[in-house]
Amino acid sequence: MAMSFSGKTAIVGIGATDFSKCSGRSTLRLAVEACEAAIRDAGVTPDMIDGMVTYTVDDNHEIDVCRSLGVDRLTHFSRIHHSGGAACGTIHQAAMAVASGAATYCLVYRAFNERSETRFGVGVQERAPLPTPMEVDFSWSSPFGLLTPASWVAMFAQRYMHEYGATTEDFGRVAVACRRHAANNPAAFFYKQPITLEDHQNSRWIVKPLRLLDCCQESDGGQAMVVTTLERARDLTGKPAVIRAAVQGSCDDQQMMKSYYRKSITGIPEMGLCAEQVYAESGLSAADIDAAVLYDHFTPLVLPQLEEFGFCKRGEAKDFIRDGAIEIGGRLPINTHGGQIGEAYLHGMNGIAEGVRLVRGQSWNQPKKLDNVLVTAASAVPTSALILSRDY
Amino acid sequence: MTATEDTAFLETLRSYVGRTGAPQTARDPVNSATIRNWCDAMRFDGEALETAAPDDKGRAPPAMLAVWTMPGAIPREFDPDCPRGKVFMLLQQAGFASMIGVNTEEEYFRPLEIGELLTGTLSLLDVSEQKSTALGVGYFVTTLTEFKNQKGERVGTWKFRTFNFKPRQPTEEELAKKKQRQEQQAKIPKHLLVRPRPAMMKETAFFWEGAQAGELRIQQCRGCQRLAHPPVVRCPACGSYDLGYRVASGKATLYSFVEPVHPPMPFMRYPYVVGVVELEEGTRLITNIVHCAPELVRIGMPLELVSQQTDPGLKLPMFRPAAPSVNRQTRRFEEVQTGEELPLRPIDVTTRRIVAGAIATRDFEDIHHEAAAARRAGLPDLFMNILTTNGLCTRYVQAWAGPQASVTGINIRLGAPNVAGDTMTLSGVVESRTALEHRGQVVVRLSGRNDLGDHVTGTVTVELPLGGRS
Repeated sequence: MAMSFSGKTAIVGIGATDFSKCSGRSTLRLAVEACEAAIRDAGVTPDMIDGMVTYTVDDNHEIDVCRSLGVDRLTHFSRIHHSGGAACGTIHQAAMAVASGAATYCLVYRAFNERSETRFGVGVQERAPLPTPMEVDFSWSSPFGLLTPASWVAMFAQRYMHEYGATTEDFGRVAVACRRHAANNPAAFFYKQPITLEDHQNSRWIVKPLRLLDCCQESDGGQAMVVTTLERARDLTGKPAVIRAAVQGSCDDQQMMKSYYRKSITGIPEMGLCAEQVYAESGLSAADIDAAVLYDHFTPLVLPQLEEFGFCKRGEAKDFIRDGAIEIGGRLPINTHGGQIGEAYLHGMNGIAEGVRLVRGQSWNQPKKLDNVLVTAASAVPTSALILSRDY
Repeated sequence: MTATEDTAFLETLRSYVGRTGAPQTARDPVNSATIRNWCDAMRFDGEALETAAPDDKGRAPPAMLAVWTMPGAIPREFDPDCPRGKVFMLLQQAGFASMIGVNTEEEYFRPLEIGELLTGTLSLLDVSEQKSTALGVGYFVTTLTEFKNQKGERVGTWKFRTFNFKPRQPTEEELAKKKQRQEQQAKIPKHLLVRPRPAMMKETAFFWEGAQAGELRIQQCRGCQRLAHPPVVRCPACGSYDLGYRVASGKATLYSFVEPVHPPMPFMRYPYVVGVVELEEGTRLITNIVHCAPELVRIGMPLELVSQQTDPGLKLPMFRPAAPSVNRQTRRFEEVQTGEELPLRPIDVTTRRIVAGAIATRDFEDIHHEAAAARRAGLPDLFMNILTTNGLCTRYVQAWAGPQASVTGINIRLGAPNVAGDTMTLSGVVESRTALEHRGQVVVRLSGRNDLGDHVTGTVTVELPLGGRS
């Protein structure tokens, strides 16, 4: 099924605030700063913006962002659900909007004080037991003390280890790669702070079998992007990142981070659905992908992503990553900005920005050859993915 | 006491080492009624009466060795020659008035036949130097009882070690820490002192009503009988909105699990395990795995439903290791590998089990049958006596090894008490195996963990036949 907008749209501007543990300013200010930077990077002006997309969980109303930016007219505004699974979905939405003519220049943003104000990592124990489907859903796990994102992911990790013989060291290799890349990135919180596998193994337990260094950071910050048609992009000064494919995916018996009821839980079917679509849409295959930004809220779920996108066979990701394949200079460098483990946790949005930098040749860990980059959104939730390419 | 006085006191205590008390002869010979009482008391919950019964030759289970010469409900006349009695009296007078049993080690030379009349002779083996432990300052006292039958044949020995101590007073630092903990606890909002309450819709209420009733319910479509968990509001298979439920059998296997450590949740007791279990009916469920040390949890382990009241007004369906069946075929020595794990066996420590065990081992100490006496001793309720623990440990290994295996020894250390209302789960692993003439000896290292910690750790030695099955 071909998407009408494949290769017809592009990300033309990226902008971010500083990434910190305490921004000292409101989330709205972070959103506006990031949007302003993205608009400037795109070489457009606020009055040209007529579309806006963010996450349903974002606290900053489009209209408030517009008032401070000086955006007067919006012809398209929409939001994508499912937390970090929305990341590439926002670009998908913006691309559809500009391709269809619903908007001409679409802003995509995400901003929060996730560390200093509302931490996701602390758990969902404070939710009121209201008779709504969302709260009812939490009731199948919360009364049993399964309350944090780390614990939800650890359940998949334990089964994955059992079926494929992966070890916590294999998870650690993902963290080592991310921190190695972050060490070269001045914007990363862990700039100049690489870790060893031994550091990983010595870090404290969060939820067995997950250690502290298997978990991404918690961050304050904002990230924004401008999406328009490739035709318009070519008239702008900057180098566009062509959206070769943008897709969403949700599969059978999908649950929010707790799809434990499927026949098998070692794969990520919704990622598989995204893989199928991005390759069909772009006409590319795994062999054409030069680098990837794989959602790394927790290391264990990076492994099955490599499998779902066809970089290795099922259960063999542990072997694929063993000898530095995912580090700079390897077959598939991942998370060249440091990922959410090394750079910052921006709900996947900073990863898309890194995808753009890679296409532009501006990553702090730029591979020699870079035509196409894969970007994924959160795993274990309804999710999304992108392939960004050079304008070749 | 000064250091010199301490030395003199120890010397006095040690002057009794090597002395022997008056031989104590059992009031009755080995007899079937006492054996049956013991077998009934040690029977595992749900175990078939046949496997819990005395063996077909009517012999006494080896772990009954020390039972026969116990005094019974009528206190024995004071033995003025008993070196243990003397030492205990001296310790009590010096303020070391509290006592716990810490180790027991028995050797069974052979099974006892009905009609044998046992005599036990106790001697004092050792008094330790003064030791400081978590409980307080005191002395370890070790005795050895040798058992002979009416013909003077030695049939077994029992080495027993107690710690006689002055309870330790908490230090100022500990008191300050305790106060700080209490203050922190007081700051926690009330709703965070209990587990998150489940939210319900009309379509999911059946599950929680079942949980309150001690049942595990799975949604079932009345149209096509399809099961669903978590529940749906319309059957996706047949389209029916007419949805009921069925009650699960309670049998399951473990599909995956985690052990949350951080951040700490004030309403949870650590450590705890959350598992995804696969029910016999085919659906899965997120639940807690209880009565099992986290390090013994394994994917694939068989589980059984156990309803647990976690907080006032909240009962949850949880799972624990399924009690294994008792092996009716005797294992051969060659079949056993070093490192082999025995199936876990949870044992509910009920009042009935404690009292039946105490009486069947002829232990009439009031702490094992009178709750008020147990409370006076500082525990919330009745607790299990050592000879019952002994019996359960040997039966645990026997149930794995099979009816023709013979238990030849036990060497255990006692820890946290088995208080009524708790559950102890026995686990074991084959530590060593040695070929002997015409048989093989296997040492099983076991542990019995309850909610307070390790109740018992140690080894049971068992002899297995060689060769193919007879």
